[in-house]
Formats: sequence, structure tokens, C-alpha cells
Amino acid sequence: MKRRQGWLFFIIFLLTLSVYLLINYPLQLGLDLQGGSQLTLQIIKEEGKVTKDELDAVNAVIDRRVNNLGVSESNLQTLGGDQLILELPGEQNPLVASRVLGKTALLEFRTQKAGTSTDLKTLQLQRLNIKEIIDQYSSSEKSQYDDNFLKIIQDDLKEIEQELNYSTTSSDLYGMLIEIKKYVDKEITNLFIKTDLSGKDLINAGRRQEQTNSNWEVLLTFSNSGGEKFAEITKSIAGTNQLLAIILDGESISEASVGNQFANTGITGGSATISGNFSAENARELEVQLKGGSLPLPIEIVETNTIGALLGSKNILKSLYAAISGLILVGIFMIFNYRILGFVSVLSLVLYGFLNLALYSLIPVTLTLPGISGLILSIGMAVDANILIFERIREELYDGNTLTRSIDSGFQRANSSIVDGHITTLLSCFVLFLLGTNFVKGFAATLGIGVLISLFTSLNCSKTILRFFTTYQSLRQKNLFLPKNNFSN
Amino acid sequence: MKYNLELIKNKKKIIGFSTVLTLLSLLGILYSTFNTSYKKPINLGMDFVGGNELRIERICEAECSNLSPDSVFENLKEISKNKKVLNNLKLQFQNNNKLISIRTPYLSIEESNNLISNLDNIVGPLNYESKDSRLIGPKLGKRLLTNSVTSLLVSLFAISLYITIRFDKKYALFALLALFHDLLIVFGIFSWLGIILSVEVNSLFAVSLLTIAGYSVNDTVVIFDRIRENLKSKKEGYNETIQLSVNESFRRTTFTSITTLIPLLSIILFGSYSLFWFSLALSLGIIVGSYSSILLAPSLLLKD
Repeated sequence: MKRRQGWLFFIIFLLTLSVYLLINYPLQLGLDLQGGSQLTLQIIKEEGKVTKDELDAVNAVIDRRVNNLGVSESNLQTLGGDQLILELPGEQNPLVASRVLGKTALLEFRTQKAGTSTDLKTLQLQRLNIKEIIDQYSSSEKSQYDDNFLKIIQDDLKEIEQELNYSTTSSDLYGMLIEIKKYVDKEITNLFIKTDLSGKDLINAGRRQEQTNSNWEVLLTFSNSGGEKFAEITKSIAGTNQLLAIILDGESISEASVGNQFANTGITGGSATISGNFSAENARELEVQLKGGSLPLPIEIVETNTIGALLGSKNILKSLYAAISGLILVGIFMIFNYRILGFVSVLSLVLYGFLNLALYSLIPVTLTLPGISGLILSIGMAVDANILIFERIREELYDGNTLTRSIDSGFQRANSSIVDGHITTLLSCFVLFLLGTNFVKGFAATLGIGVLISLFTSLNCSKTILRFFTTYQSLRQKNLFLPKNNFSN
Repeated sequence: MKYNLELIKNKKKIIGFSTVLTLLSLLGILYSTFNTSYKKPINLGMDFVGGNELRIERICEAECSNLSPDSVFENLKEISKNKKVLNNLKLQFQNNNKLISIRTPYLSIEESNNLISNLDNIVGPLNYESKDSRLIGPKLGKRLLTNSVTSLLVSLFAISLYITIRFDKKYALFALLALFHDLLIVFGIFSWLGIILSVEVNSLFAVSLLTIAGYSVNDTVVIFDRIRENLKSKKEGYNETIQLSVNESFRRTTFTSITTLIPLLSIILFGSYSLFWFSLALSLGIIVGSYSSILLAPSLLLKD
């Protein structure tokens, strides 16, 4: 008896502790409940597996970029050895993040091949033409967007194609424009030779507005050795008609000549500016990318989920309705069929609910929609254990055993079935958790935790509460445990 | 109240019924593989093939005006610069024209944003707070599919192993037979749903199959436990003992199914739409699972 009372106090203590935890450490809600965006970044490696070092390196670069972007409360984590998951809570547009994060940001400095001036001039001119057409096309309003306008653009495009001796293969006009732009960028890059100066030689990047117009420029600061390399390179082409190109991810973003006055020493001082008609936004994106360094392996954004805040709070309400109505109906069902025993199971279910939530805030488990459905489903599992036990108790009572004996052997004999059932479910949860996606993991985690807690509440707590009830003489009547009409059987 | 299921008498009927169900499921799976546009055993959803799914609500003063998806599509065609976005675009209005849902093949975030702002011009204003957008690249889709299939196989293997260790060979075999019967039927039902109603399965479907596996085995184990226990102590014949054990466990198995179905029903009725098919698959699995645990698996144990 003493020992049972000890258990009772322990249960009350656990309940109090859970409530305390829940008040002080509120539950973390997933993006599907609070609104926000989630991006999955896949590291692309042509051959072999992504190593731990490579994953860490990519993670570090992305982390720096995210920090420099200044998104609030973002969360970055790795998944499955070659993926990263970035969460942006609230109404933050994933577009900027995707533009900044998705680029490798490989910065190269290249010098022009000798004797390619005419080629470069032609290509630069065409690049300008294409840019103008694209601007015109994408800024035009629907009203101007008539056949005549389209025809002009198509004619212009055809002219450029002839000039370049290249024909596009895309099916729609926009695709053709983008395609030819890429072709020209590639051709320009090919006119330049690599040097040993690259983004690795940077120690900082910044941006400022140009004084003469509203365009922005990006400032580069080299390390000591980088500064020396830069001086060396500029010295080698100073005064010639060869240009220095700054190339980002294979696309030249600036071509500039180096004046004759630098022929002796090259450009010293360890810094350079890129002024390539940047908008404020573009300049900021480039700054963030350069500050974060280039990615050791390219990445691709393979998944983007965005949930509005309003929808998130609706999801919370809906889940709450589902959980509460489920609990109440199960409670009614249990009390109707098992009387006092049913009431005991309702009490231990309430405890079960609190313990689950408390563990979520303690571990912590981020609560998502699939997570909640795991929890709701595990209610069924927890009740199952109670049903197994209660059925046994009923049988013992029918056989004419005393209440105390029936209760004892009921718990004892149901034990192995309960453990079996829980183990098979735990096995599934374990596999799901190991192999599943983030989404699925939430479900596996809550169901798994639920199954473990249910082992404790259904075996121990129900027993303790039941024992406590049966210390009251007025409750020790068989008809409170069995529906009356059944005695006739 | 005692139950009296006449298992011995109805053995043939039960096994026949299950055979018919199994064959119907197989038929659905085969039909889906060879005769539908998607050429897969089941209609794979966006999670597995990649794509873009967008749901967003319109802001309307009183009632939302009636719009035909076709006219919206025509408008989109006119103002969209990137025509690629419009290939295979499916557009629907739900909730009295308030909710717009759109499916397209995979788009970049930029393309998807453009599509939304074009949409805003045509049917707007839109409530961005109600947006639900998912973009899944085809690469990730393939990976999710492999992952789901592996998870299923690994956990089926683990469960089989556990059952084989835990029971004699005969019991294990029949418990597993019942398990595969349940999974096949749920899979078949969704194949048919795919054929008839174009219902798609996503990664949560794989999760539901896994959960059903756990449940189904659990149910069968409880009844087999009872049979084993009774065979040791009772003096009646083998077949009679099995029938008795099933009747003794009947209340427990149906009650458990009911208490599990109640919360699932709550999710179906009140929960978020993203959990609807998931809960439905689970409910079906639990119903079929209880049937196979109570009737099919013990019938297989009966001697002629």
C-alpha cells in the first residue's frame, strides 16, 4: 500500500512538472502551424558521395550568407548527409533567399586573350541589345503587348541570331531570349584566360551608391597576397588593349581596361570595385554572396514550401478541434463501456496528453501537422493498452474472482500483448525516423514518443489510479465495473 | 455478453472474400500500370514526381464572383511572358470561388511568384496570408520515392523478423500473410481511387502504410497470443479452441479499432485538408486490419 501511495505522489508530481514545463517553455511550432517558408537545398556532386567535410563547408557558407542577409529567426540544419533545410518563419519572401543561396558565387578574375578585341566588341554590343530587348519585354504592360510589339521583338531577336550565327531552340519567346543571353555570356567568358586570383583572395565585400548616377557598385577588399596578385595581373595588361574581366559563376559581370599609368606597379592598395549597373538589390545580393565565400559544391533548391500566417493559425485551430473532439469521444466511449475503469483510463489519458506535450517542449520536438496527427493517432494506441487490460479484468470478474485479484491478474496477463504491440509500432517509427523526410520525421517522433509514454501511463498510472479508487469502499462494487445486465450471462 | 463467430463453418467464405478483395486490388494496380495516363501501379503525387502546388484565397467583399477556370487560363496565357509556366497548368476554384488551387510541373520560386502576381491581376485581390505553396524539384521527388519504398521494405523486414522470432513458423507465416493482405488492399483501393477520382498518393501515404503494418501485426499478435495461451490450457479440440480464442478477443479488437478510428474520424472531419487522404488511408487500413486479424488470420490456422 505504501509503495502504491508513493506512485500516486510521483504521478501527481509528474503532472505538476509537465504543466510547469509547458507554461515556462512553450511548444515550438513548425512552419505549417505558424506560417513561413522552408527551402530544401540539395548539394550537387557529379561523382561519389558528399563527404562530411564538404557538407560542413557548404553549411558554413550558407550559414554566413543567411546571417548576412539579415533574415530574422532563420533556422538552418543538415539533412541526410547531402541536404540542407532552411526555415524562414513569418512572411519573409523566399525569393531573395533563394537567389542569394542558390548561386555558387564563384568569383574569378580573368585577362583577355590577345587579339580578340573585335570579337569582344561585337559580343558586348549584342549583349547590350539583348538586355534591352529583355528589359523592354518584361517591363511592358499588357496593353502594349500586341502582335505588333511581339513582331518587333521577334525581328530583333532574329537579327541578333544571324549576327551571332547561333539559332535558339527554346519554344517560347522568353525562353529564346534567356537562351541567347546565356550563349553570349559564355562566348564572352571564353575570350578571357583564368588567373590565379579568385574569390578566395577576398577578405571583405561592401557596396555603395555611385556618385554620378543612381547605380550601385560592389567593393572588394583583397587579402595581402590577393592584393599582390591583383597588382601583378593589372600590371601585366596595363596600357594594352586587353581587358580585365570579373567573372561570377561563369558570367562576366564587368570588363575594364587598366590604364598605362599602372604599367610599373599594377593597381596596388588591395581593393577593387565592380561597377556593372547594379540595382540596390543586386548589389546587396552580390555583397552577401561574396562575404559568405563561394560554395565548394554547387547546390540546387529542390523544394520550397510556403505557408501563410493565417493558414498556419487555421491549421492550429483545426488540429485542436480534431484532437479535443477525438479525446472527448474516446472518453465517452470508454466510460460508457467500462464505467469506473473507463473513467480511470480517461484520467490516465489526460496525464498521457500532458506528459507528451511536456516532453515535446523538453526535447524539444517541433510540432507540425503530421506531428499532431501522430499524437492523435497515439491516443488510440494508448487506449488500446487500457482496453486489453480492462477486458482481462472483466473476464476475471465474470469468473467470480474478487475485485483486487481481478485487477492484479488483469494487468499481469495483458502485459505481454501490450509490450508486443508497442514494439511493432516502435519498429515502424524507428525506421520512419531514420529514413523519412523532415515532414515524416515529425510524425514518427510524436508517435514514437507517444508509444513509449503509453507504456508507462497505461501499465503504471492506470493501475495506481485504479488502486487509489478501490481504497474507497463505496466504489468497490462490481456493477460499477460491469454493466448490470451482463450479470445474467 | 458473449460473442459467437462461427469461424469453422465460414472458413471457406472468409478466405473466398479475402481472395476476391485481393484480386480486385491487383486488378486496380494492373489497370493503373497499363491503362492509365500515368503508367504506374498507383497515381504518384507531387511529392514523388515533383511539381508546384498553390492554394490561395481571394479577398471578396461579400461573395466571390463566379469565374470559369478556362477564362482565367486564357487571361493568364495573354499576360504571362514565360509560357513554360502554362504547360500542363491545372486550375480549380473551390469554396464558392474563394479558394484557387493550381497545379503545374516544377517551377522556380521566381516563376511561381510571377504566376501568383499574374493571377492577382486577373482574379485578385489575393490574401497572401492564406497562401499555401509547395515547389518540389523532380530530383527530390525521385529521392522521396526511393526513400519511401526503402522505409516500407526495411520496416516490413524488421516486423517479419520480429514475428518470426516471437512465434512459431506457422503463426508467423499467417500473421505476415494477413499483413500483406491488408497492405495490398489499401494500396489497391488507392489505385482505384487514382483511376476513378485521380486521387494522388504522397509521402504521407507511405507513412500510413507503415503505420497500418504496425497496427495490423499488433492486432493479429494479440489474437495469436490468446490462441497459444488457450491451446496450452483448454481441453477442447484445436479448431474449437481457435474459434473460442477469437470470440474472446473480439471485443478487444473491435474496441481498439473503434477508439483508433474515432480520433482519425476527427482529423477527417475537422483537421487540415493536407491530412484528409492520410487519415482516410489509415482508417481503411485499420478496418481491413481488424477484419483480417479477427477473421482471416485465425481461419488460416484452422485445420480441415
